[in-house]
Amino acid sequence: MFLALREMRRAVVRFGLLVAAIGLLVFLILFQQALQDGLLTSFVGAIRNQSAPVLVYSVDAQRTLQGSTIPPELERQVRGAEGVGRSARLNQSTFTIRIGEEGDSDAAIIGTDDQELVRPTTLTAGRRPEREGEAVGSDGDFRLGARVAVVGSPGVRPAEVTVVGLAEDLQLSVTPTLFTDLDTFRAASMAVNPGATAMLPNAIAVAPADGASAERVAASINSVAPDADALTRGDAADNSPGVAQVRQSFQVIFLLYGLVVPLLTGLFFLIITLQKAGSLTLLRAIGARASVLAGSLLLQVGIVMGLGLAVGVGLFYPLSRTGVGGLSLRFDATAVLAWSALLLGLGLLSALASLRRVLRIDPIEATSGPGVR
Amino acid sequence: MRLALRELRRRPGRFVVAASILTLIALLLMFLGGLLDGLIGSSTAAYRAQPGDLIVYSASSRESLVRSRITAETRAAVEATAGVEAIGGLGSLQVGARLGEDPGSRELVGTVLFGYELAPRGLPAEPPPTGEVVADSSLRSEGVSVGDTVLLGPQRSPLRVTGFVDDTRYSGQVSLWGSLDTWRAVTAANRPGQSPGDTVQALVVRTDGAPAAVAAAIDAGSGSTATLTLAAATEALPGVAQQRSTFNQIIGVTALVALVVVALFFALITVERTALYGILKAVGASGATLFAGVVTQALVVTGLAATIGVAGSLALDAVLPAGAIPFEVTPSRLITSVVLMLVAAIAGCAFSLRRVLRVEPASAIGTAG
Repeated sequence: MFLALREMRRAVVRFGLLVAAIGLLVFLILFQQALQDGLLTSFVGAIRNQSAPVLVYSVDAQRTLQGSTIPPELERQVRGAEGVGRSARLNQSTFTIRIGEEGDSDAAIIGTDDQELVRPTTLTAGRRPEREGEAVGSDGDFRLGARVAVVGSPGVRPAEVTVVGLAEDLQLSVTPTLFTDLDTFRAASMAVNPGATAMLPNAIAVAPADGASAERVAASINSVAPDADALTRGDAADNSPGVAQVRQSFQVIFLLYGLVVPLLTGLFFLIITLQKAGSLTLLRAIGARASVLAGSLLLQVGIVMGLGLAVGVGLFYPLSRTGVGGLSLRFDATAVLAWSALLLGLGLLSALASLRRVLRIDPIEATSGPGVR
Repeated sequence: MRLALRELRRRPGRFVVAASILTLIALLLMFLGGLLDGLIGSSTAAYRAQPGDLIVYSASSRESLVRSRITAETRAAVEATAGVEAIGGLGSLQVGARLGEDPGSRELVGTVLFGYELAPRGLPAEPPPTGEVVADSSLRSEGVSVGDTVLLGPQRSPLRVTGFVDDTRYSGQVSLWGSLDTWRAVTAANRPGQSPGDTVQALVVRTDGAPAAVAAAIDAGSGSTATLTLAAATEALPGVAQQRSTFNQIIGVTALVALVVVALFFALITVERTALYGILKAVGASGATLFAGVVTQALVVTGLAATIGVAGSLALDAVLPAGAIPFEVTPSRLITSVVLMLVAAIAGCAFSLRRVLRVEPASAIGTAG
């Protein structure tokens, strides 16, 4: 084994380059995994992490909350569908907001007339809203107690919202998000568009009646209301526009990166095994067992992969604490471990060709031939 | 040089695996680039097609077309600004469209209806009559032909397609181009709460002076506008700058991986050839000549990999179902990727330079054979 380690020390540039390449690839894979997770969470976190089991959009909205409008007749059909227990109106829009002396920014506000049915599932700080003008905000975007002014039309007094609670992964469309009651939402809308008369709900949130499943209720609503698009919470998040495209795009990227790592490792060890074939034959001739040589090879592969993984994770970790372009990234230990195990496995597998070469070395060739058949 | 090329011809097997890895990396670079171009292209094409130099939003809109409202008074103030040559209103409505005439269909296509006055590239100078639109040509892949009717929004507002225009998608959706009256009517019918009345969402301005100076003059004169150059307005569209910067970083690191792979592979080959280089030096070959051979081989292997990458990207573009992934192959992207790979190959070879130059003919010959 000490020969394996000494060889690595004496050819530090070559092994260093391999470690660097693997490290960069691991970093790219982990970064893009975090980017994918962050993108999906920021796109649809507010849908996935709210409590209503079923959301009903208008079919024309193509599963976007802001683009959906539920006219009174459709609302009546939804509320009357079999299996519908509790239901609530839901409105969402994007507003220009200002917090204290900070500049203007965008925020999505989601308002509902039943904050028991539609609320963030888990608070990380503070409490739920209890009166008009209070809201739960996406953490990372708001601080507890912040007074958020919704910038209105010229000459119109801004609507005010106080952040009384914070929740994780609550963004919608990569925008800071506030969950509040319908009156607060209406006040925000009127500040922007004081001439607005009627405000139709964007969606209806539904909880199934006792004994009914969310899937059955969604199917029941879709069957009685042709203009409704009822989806379970998970389906509403997974089928939001862009989500499937993001997933498919990243899968292709992961596949390509995943192929490069074992090919690179396999190529490297195959070449150096061929280069030192003569030395390996001599070692076999003076009594070194094939298993010892194979063990040395696997040790080197393991060390290179381990160092590469360490470099990749080391590069990724600080980045995961910052974020990219307003998108928060996360160091997901499970994902890091899963990728590490997969890449280590692929790296060891890639050494099979070299291993076969080593095991086929015939000691007698030391006296008569090139050493490797 | 000739020796290097001959080795490539005679012993291609030793370069196959390196070429395979570089091919995968080339594919990655081109796929990432194509993804970036597809995302940006389908988000911004409608803006890039605009015939003006400036886009004028209302000041409170934070440069968002949807939230911007330009009143008749503001428009008059903009029109009166020195340096403004022509002006046109622009309105947009994102809405689902039913293709065909079945109002009960649950199959919708995401569209953006634009109302325009100044004709964007490829569109008739005079907007189509009310109730008619010119559609982005990507709608053809959905089976829509000239003369077909599409039904827009929950009110199923019928619009007849009278023609097609290339490369005008917006926000990842198919664009439909009609008059401001068409836009106002469809918006009022389907979004009664957002009825634009006599306002427009933005103004497209053609200038006869320096655009930046005219933009400043417009904002100063109207007091209620935020005016951007067309390029700045395109870059300010949601997500565009972030996507560009993130993808470019990933592409940069991937190119770095290509560099390291070339460095690694040719470092290994150089070690293997130390004795050979010694002999060649002993018979008069210079270090520069030997290194040029290494670079030549790296360029040929990388060039081959890049060529396969180009073919793979074109094939991917051809087989990907429309709308599955926002992937777009452009000549400039392919050329950039190939150049990036070749530069990485040359830079990667630099790692072997020291070893090639330091080969000592006498000692190398001593170890040969």
